[in-house]
Amino acid sequence: MRERAPVLIAAGLFLLPLALIDPRTYLTLTVAGLAMGMLIFLVAAGLTLIFGLMDVLNFAHGALFSWGAYVGFSAAALLNQRLGWATSPSVVANTLLLLGAIAATVLITVGLGVLLERVIVRPVYGQHLFQILITLGATIVLEELIRIVWGPNDQVMPVPFTFQGSWDIADVVVLRFPVVAIILGIVIYVGMVLMLNRTRVGLIVRAGVENGEMVQVMGHNIYRYFTGVFAAGSALAGVGGLMWAIFSQSVRPTMGGEQLIFAFIVVIIGGLGSVTGSLVGALMVGLSYNYVAFLVPKAAIGVTMAIMVLILLFRPTGLYGAAR
Amino acid sequence: MTPPTLTPVQAARLRERQRRLREPTLYLRLGLLAAFALVPAVVPSFQAMDLALKIALFATLVASYDVVIGYTGIVSFGHAMFFGFGAYAVALALGKFGAVTYGHLLLGFAAGVVVSAVVAVVIGAFSLRVKALFFAMITLAFAEFALILAVQWSQVTGGEDGLSPKLPGVFAVGFDAGRILGVPVTGRLLTYYLVLAACIALFLMMSRFVHSPLGRTLQAIRDNELRAEALGFQTFVFQIVSSSFGSVVATVVGGLYAMWVRYVNPESTLGIPIMLDVLLMVIIGGIGTLYGGVIGAAFLLAARTVLPDLRTLSASLAPASEVLQRLSERWLLYFGILFILIVFFFPRGVIGTVQEAMSKAKASRG
Repeated sequence: MRERAPVLIAAGLFLLPLALIDPRTYLTLTVAGLAMGMLIFLVAAGLTLIFGLMDVLNFAHGALFSWGAYVGFSAAALLNQRLGWATSPSVVANTLLLLGAIAATVLITVGLGVLLERVIVRPVYGQHLFQILITLGATIVLEELIRIVWGPNDQVMPVPFTFQGSWDIADVVVLRFPVVAIILGIVIYVGMVLMLNRTRVGLIVRAGVENGEMVQVMGHNIYRYFTGVFAAGSALAGVGGLMWAIFSQSVRPTMGGEQLIFAFIVVIIGGLGSVTGSLVGALMVGLSYNYVAFLVPKAAIGVTMAIMVLILLFRPTGLYGAAR
Repeated sequence: MTPPTLTPVQAARLRERQRRLREPTLYLRLGLLAAFALVPAVVPSFQAMDLALKIALFATLVASYDVVIGYTGIVSFGHAMFFGFGAYAVALALGKFGAVTYGHLLLGFAAGVVVSAVVAVVIGAFSLRVKALFFAMITLAFAEFALILAVQWSQVTGGEDGLSPKLPGVFAVGFDAGRILGVPVTGRLLTYYLVLAACIALFLMMSRFVHSPLGRTLQAIRDNELRAEALGFQTFVFQIVSSSFGSVVATVVGGLYAMWVRYVNPESTLGIPIMLDVLLMVIIGGIGTLYGGVIGAAFLLAARTVLPDLRTLSASLAPASEVLQRLSERWLLYFGILFILIVFFFPRGVIGTVQEAMSKAKASRG
């Protein structure tokens, strides 16, 4: 029962705005909030896994988010320019464009993740201060590289035709792309949970979160798993960035830094190292942000902070965090 | 000369005091002080004065950050926020919610200090309970929140446009007391000396803080938290005290900054860029040295002043290449690379590395 308590309380809380907002707007906001939550989840999940397994607080995660967005943007722009996959009304072409952009993003961010882990993070395992400093340095470099390669200004992200606009279901306006984002988020969450709970690799990773030294004693090269998890986390951040770019229809070099703060709040709410905690935390942040942004626009960022402070007050380790 | 009743501790202190006068670093510090004090007389240009005082201000700010990061071992990303609190408190007290008097100037400082102390204790109480790592994330979130608040709450803070406070009495722009020894005594000059004196006082205070028994305890916690806890220290309380102290000093520096620059806006006092600058300065100078801030601030601020010239140079060398143009514009990239390299190869910064080399040389000499 204790396990379920946070979910139940959260679910109850999110019916509360229904008293203040009319039901149709409420549903529209809920879809937008769920989508935003799913995108934040993608970023936070990688962050929390990297922290859980390697005890590394990765400040470069936001830069990987931006890189994912920009690589996806380039891939989408290229596919659209050559083949017209974004502007054509064909669902197949649009989906292919999205998948192509995701593939390109994953490829580049996995590469970047491996590079970062091997070159930057590996020498400072176990030293928190230097980890924070060095990943921060990496963030500066990666963000500046974006400005050099793609230029410092905002760019308009090509959005596939099928995903533009909205569906009108029983008088409720449901934007299309958020639905795609929610589905993708669910797929990734389920995939991660299955991977962690049902496979041998997942077993070793979970064991590593519990006690890394013991895993090494059992004859597994934990550093290989470190690299793998870091790369997977980077890819998640990159895909999150790409989806966010389509969601907000633009890319800019500082987008990662802004989302990183949300991701941190989510990781703190959910508990360091917990994937489910990240999902619950991300949905809480996404939904409350959207409700409050509708009711009191200026208080939107404040409410996420308030949630974080409240949760820390009652559960200092976060909703699903183990005391470490 | 030495009375025989001295306890061993007192004797050690006496020896320490006598040794201090023979140490070269003492004279280095005094020389530095003299240099700062003489700048307005020797180089009467405003640019030189501005650069010198900004170095002093940032050196103090970096030192206050060093108390938190270097002597206590907790990473804060909210230090610029406290700096901004001070700047805004002084600017608001002198303009919007007060009159241009000395009393309101002091009131501004007092208000800033109180707000910062409360916020720092609250943040510390929430985040340091579990893990010092939480502190980094939560201060980052709070700093972002403060920045957004300053931009959006424009009836009070002036939004993006910021505030331009006027200073009272002898610090006002129009004040002129003729010439003393050929140097024109203006409001600017008096502000310069007031701010400089305040910076020195803050520096001495921090030096006293880190060398006090409390400071020793903090270093013990930094080096081995578990052991400090086992020795009976409530590490969490000490960490809150230290981070609040650093934050309050940063607030005062922020107020002084507002006095000197006479302009406060969210970007120049609260933003993440200021935080990055402070981090770079503390890394370059040396974590846990206190005086490293002087070197870090001097290097970074001087580089800032020179870099625009380099940009025009590269533009004249290769006017056609856009990528080269961008490469030269993105000086932050080089700071980022420098940052990583310093963390890798000189994790103790300039002063730490020099100290290490000196103590090695001393050891080899016997």
